[in-house]
Amino acid sequence: MGIYKDIKNLLLGMRITGKHLGRHAITIQYPEEKWTMPERSRGVVVLLSDKETGDLNCTGCLLCMKACPSAAIRIDAPRDPETKKRKLLSFSVDNTHCCFCGLCEEACNFCAIKMAGNYEMSVEDKDTLVWDMNKLQEMGRDVPYVDTRKKRVPKPKPTTEPKTSAELKPSDEPEQKIQPKSENKNDNENKDTKDEG
Amino acid sequence: MNGIIAFGELHGVFAWLYDLLVSTGLPQPWLDIVRYTALGAMMFGVLSLIALFLVWWERKIAGHIQQRFGPMRNGWHGWYQTIVDAVKLLQKEDILVVARDKMVFFWAPVLCFLVAFLAYVTIPFGEGLIVADLNVGILYIMAVTTFTAISLLMAGWGSNNKYALLGGMRSAAQAVSYEVPMVASILVIVVFVGSLSMVDIVNAQSGFLYNWFIFKVPFGPIAFVTYIIAATAEANRTPFDIPEAEQELVAGYNVEYSGMKFAMFFLAEFINGFTVSAIAVTLFLGGWHGPLNGSFLPSWVWFFLKTFGIVFLLMMFRWTYPRLRVDQLMGFAWKFLVPVTFANLILGAIIKYAGWYW
Repeated sequence: MGIYKDIKNLLLGMRITGKHLGRHAITIQYPEEKWTMPERSRGVVVLLSDKETGDLNCTGCLLCMKACPSAAIRIDAPRDPETKKRKLLSFSVDNTHCCFCGLCEEACNFCAIKMAGNYEMSVEDKDTLVWDMNKLQEMGRDVPYVDTRKKRVPKPKPTTEPKTSAELKPSDEPEQKIQPKSENKNDNENKDTKDEG
Repeated sequence: MNGIIAFGELHGVFAWLYDLLVSTGLPQPWLDIVRYTALGAMMFGVLSLIALFLVWWERKIAGHIQQRFGPMRNGWHGWYQTIVDAVKLLQKEDILVVARDKMVFFWAPVLCFLVAFLAYVTIPFGEGLIVADLNVGILYIMAVTTFTAISLLMAGWGSNNKYALLGGMRSAAQAVSYEVPMVASILVIVVFVGSLSMVDIVNAQSGFLYNWFIFKVPFGPIAFVTYIIAATAEANRTPFDIPEAEQELVAGYNVEYSGMKFAMFFLAEFINGFTVSAIAVTLFLGGWHGPLNGSFLPSWVWFFLKTFGIVFLLMMFRWTYPRLRVDQLMGFAWKFLVPVTFANLILGAIIKYAGWYW
């Protein structure tokens, strides 16, 4: 009988909506509650500083400025006529132009520029969205990043599996942390085997 | 003055107020005018509050069914959101279409708002809480609520807009179609009680739960289900809301209305939803009677509990079922509901005549 099937389906629909009515909402109340943004989310552009010295990592190579498709980055870094090295004088990002593509972060070879997780930039005056070097440095103070610049430190010899997994993990000093982690893992494995035995 | 008979019962209060009015020594015609004006004003206030509450409630239910919160900003869980909305609509510009039919365009929302309240003359809110116990009670309600279709047709015609006119025409067609099964399912109860008066109908369901007409197997549940379906269509609610089908007609009959005129349509729609629920409670769910013989709550509390339960059911319908097509809607009314309700009416009449009931 078709009618019984129809009634059953109607009741099934009511049951499903009734179930959803009892559940808690999955939305969040934005200004009061906020998401913790994922590590690699693309928010505002910040400049990263060296962990020890606190100076900017930026060398003024202009790679990010050239990579920027919307010309949001302005860098003033003239070459010193004697040493032939660039000296960073000013660095500004116009956030009204920025399209948050992340190409500047990809272009940078010196861990100097990063898209941070912050996305709240509403202001009353549009001009204040042009951030200068100090502001960018201030924004990037607490942004965690993996420093891949130090290439002179000798890498430990390639050993077994745990080493690669530890290498993939983001850490401040990769070459130093590898050793204790692998030791721990070995310890755990030994314990496991002991328990099993 | 009898005083308050049972705890929380209100009819004693009203009797006391009426005695107070009589003691002023007004002549009878003036007495009636004052009395009914006061009652009308009170009904208007209470029903407006209920409509405001229902708008908020519907939004909350819709939100939670879709795993959202609904209004959250104004007060605790946005409880005064609709009040703020109403104030906003009051302030809004009343946009008038140039090519409108002036009289019809103006009077359509007024009529819609007015007739939404008219049904409450004969709806008993509790024991002794009825404005006027007419002996044609339910017939009067059926006659008055049909005016809503006329007001929607007026709105569609007066707007001089093709979508609005289509919405109005659909509303008229739907009202004509669904009036038949609705009246037929109500008639079963009328045949059974032998009276059109709402108070008589409620009194026939006093006592225990099994005296309610919804539990009078077999004709009671069938009449209840067909009545709820037809009433959903009468109140223009989803899945039968083709007069204001957003995806097809923009907003249907009220597409050209703005500001307070739109608010009148909007509130009238929710009051209509409450009306059909109140009628369902009065006819099928024992009206103001509690489920047990001795009611441990005041009668009007029982009435409102049941009515809000039916309103909740209608809201669940709205956010569960998709809208029907126009031809499906008409086919369902004429090919299924009308035969079923008439067969049910005959069945009820036979049972009543033969006395096969408790």
